[in-house]
Amino acid sequence: MSDSARASLDRRRFLAASAGAAFTAAALPGCAASVDSGSGSGGSGKTLTVMTLVDEWDAKTKKNIEKMLDVTLRIVTYDVTKLNAMLASKNPPDVVRGIGAMDAPYFAARGLMTDLDPYFAKSDVLKASDLAAANDVWRYDGEKQGSGPRYGLAKDYSQDSMFWYRTDLFEEAGLELPSETEPLSMDEWLDLGERLTKRRLGKVKVYGLSATSLGLFSQLMSWTASAGGSLFADDMATVDFSSPEALKALQWYIDYAKADIGPSIVNPNPDGWDGPTYQANRMAMSCNGYWFGGVIGGDAKLAEVSRFAPAPQLGSHRVSPCFSGTGFWMPKDAKNKEAAWRLFEWYFAGQPAKDRAGSGWGLPSLNSLRSMIPKESAFQKQAYQVQEQDTPYFSVLPVSPYAQVDALVGILSKVLPDAIKSGTKAGKVADTLNSRMNEQLARGKELLG
Amino acid sequence: MSTDQLTGPDAEPAAPSPARSAGGRPRSGRARRPRSLQARRSGAFYVFVGPWILGFLGLTAYPLGYALWLSFTNSDGLSPNARFVGLANYREVFTDPDTLASLARTGLFAAITVPLTIVAGLILAVLINQPIRGRGVFRTLLYLPAVVPPVGAALTFKLIFDRDSGSANGVLDLLGINGIAWLGDPYARYVLIMLTVWGCGNVMIISLAGLQDVPRELLDAARVDGASQWQSFSRIILPLLSPVLFFQLVTQLIMTLQTFVPLLISLDPSPKGVGAIPESNYLIMIDVFAQYFANGRYGYASALLWVLFLFIMLITLLVFRLSKGAVFYSVDPEQTKPKTRTIGDK
Repeated sequence: MSDSARASLDRRRFLAASAGAAFTAAALPGCAASVDSGSGSGGSGKTLTVMTLVDEWDAKTKKNIEKMLDVTLRIVTYDVTKLNAMLASKNPPDVVRGIGAMDAPYFAARGLMTDLDPYFAKSDVLKASDLAAANDVWRYDGEKQGSGPRYGLAKDYSQDSMFWYRTDLFEEAGLELPSETEPLSMDEWLDLGERLTKRRLGKVKVYGLSATSLGLFSQLMSWTASAGGSLFADDMATVDFSSPEALKALQWYIDYAKADIGPSIVNPNPDGWDGPTYQANRMAMSCNGYWFGGVIGGDAKLAEVSRFAPAPQLGSHRVSPCFSGTGFWMPKDAKNKEAAWRLFEWYFAGQPAKDRAGSGWGLPSLNSLRSMIPKESAFQKQAYQVQEQDTPYFSVLPVSPYAQVDALVGILSKVLPDAIKSGTKAGKVADTLNSRMNEQLARGKELLG
Repeated sequence: MSTDQLTGPDAEPAAPSPARSAGGRPRSGRARRPRSLQARRSGAFYVFVGPWILGFLGLTAYPLGYALWLSFTNSDGLSPNARFVGLANYREVFTDPDTLASLARTGLFAAITVPLTIVAGLILAVLINQPIRGRGVFRTLLYLPAVVPPVGAALTFKLIFDRDSGSANGVLDLLGINGIAWLGDPYARYVLIMLTVWGCGNVMIISLAGLQDVPRELLDAARVDGASQWQSFSRIILPLLSPVLFFQLVTQLIMTLQTFVPLLISLDPSPKGVGAIPESNYLIMIDVFAQYFANGRYGYASALLWVLFLFIMLITLLVFRLSKGAVFYSVDPEQTKPKTRTIGDK
């Protein structure tokens, strides 16, 4: 064989070997997962991977966690695209931050979450009997959210249809303050919003009402429920916006967006959330739950003029749901579950939980910590009383396991702006939403089998 | 290149091999073969090309192949019952009115912004190539937008163009004009175009480098012959700059067809917020992102990506074909060995 032929062959071999190496490298994560896929029997010396916010814990706390759990703590910044990739490759984090009300059915139905009931059964620290009802958003029985095994825990929660208002703006407008015990009707709420709105040259200088800051789809579910209906069919495989109750909720939102009295799907809030706008005296009523008191409590002047009110109702079925229940869950393929559970015990029942309960940034997820809710100032007392009166009206509004809520929100965002601008009748909008969302749900159902 | 060429007069003399004694006799019966020039060249080839080949195979070829396979399934990445669906996803790409509309919107966006960016960059390059005082400062200032991280630029534009609290409407307010909902339909597309053209500093810098490569003697000769400034620009500078402009046309086109900026100027740049992007800014890559991560349609989104990939290839080939005769190469790269230049040559 000539030199040139040998060199040429070598190159070919080299390229083939490179290809092999690349494919092997790509396959390695999968192999790694299969080598160590069992639940860890103890956390000693292992790595505990937590996917959460980048600033969840400071350096000192991270060191304490490592010492306490005898693990090396690895924080992966929360990113849903990365999470999906890690779950798909069966190499997920040990603990994942999530929104129980939205995430639990989707991931649980796909067998991606760990059933936490056996862990509760053997824990001396976390007892299922001590959990606030809002933790039920993390339950899924194989068909519906709200009952069955627990797949996660809320770090805190709020009843997110309640709202905060500024007394100074009510006084300026010469309006009576909303009742602390009786919920407003949605029509009264809209009317107040219109009266509180200040405009100049086509611009809204002060928003009268922000009605959907924690998500339009969730609010439509809540309003429909308060009118006595449900957006989802019993089997969770379809939505029905054409029912009288859902249509009423949809019509209310179209009227709200057309009235241009607050951030909406047509004119979103540039701040991304209500906090800065409310603080800047540019929003009279903000539909946010108890957690928003954390923003208000940090500013004494704002706290003086802020009050909390019960969730407005579209009908006679009083409901006051939770739209998030943000907390942690454990993927089924997590490699260090024992250490992950010990992190749960510390985070949900230890000092961090007590600190959160006393901070005013949400209600504690353990009933035993409820006494720590702040009640010192007048603003805190009023918020606590109103919250206590709305608590019995909490209920889980189940979402479908067949589609991520983001997909349904995406359809709302595509359909509603044009409909609102063109003045399309609510009935026709409902038909379009039904058709597009049910198509999405059908695809998910086919995949789940 | 043949072996003969390698061992021809240009080849380096073989170095004494450790397997040979100084006198040229083998030290033992099992002496090592001398390491030839060709072997060394082959070694260098492997060393230099190896990382790229590995990167290409692992980070480009494998994902492309994986996406191609996904595009024939209805996978959502997580569910257990994904199955092969043949060409169904591709059929849907070409029949879904939303996808076709976003493809058309992307084409229109590219047709507007690519020429605008190149012309703006060229004009700025011509301006800052003039012998004016503070030229360095101007160059820096004009280039700055190109180095601002896209997220920061998008955030700034969002704040400027907010309907109720933005400074753009503040100016209109001073003039007694009603505020405009810039970030909603149909104005959002103009904000996106402005943001894209605002970052034309990269084009400017490349054009400036091209301008500085134009031989001074040609311009002097033209001036002596009585050519006006416009004639010098259009008949000497532009033809000499055409390879640079063509390069920018191709790269800008590819970049613009894949732009992801609308997501950055949306209020919530996440799968949750992607649906809130105004329709006029709902470009093809936004649709791809939404299909992957909001709708969980990995199969369909992969088919979309492959169609986009082929679409970009087709457009690029078309641009190459149409540019024949319009791009002036002073040296034919395929036939003539380029002249060696050193820094400082004009």
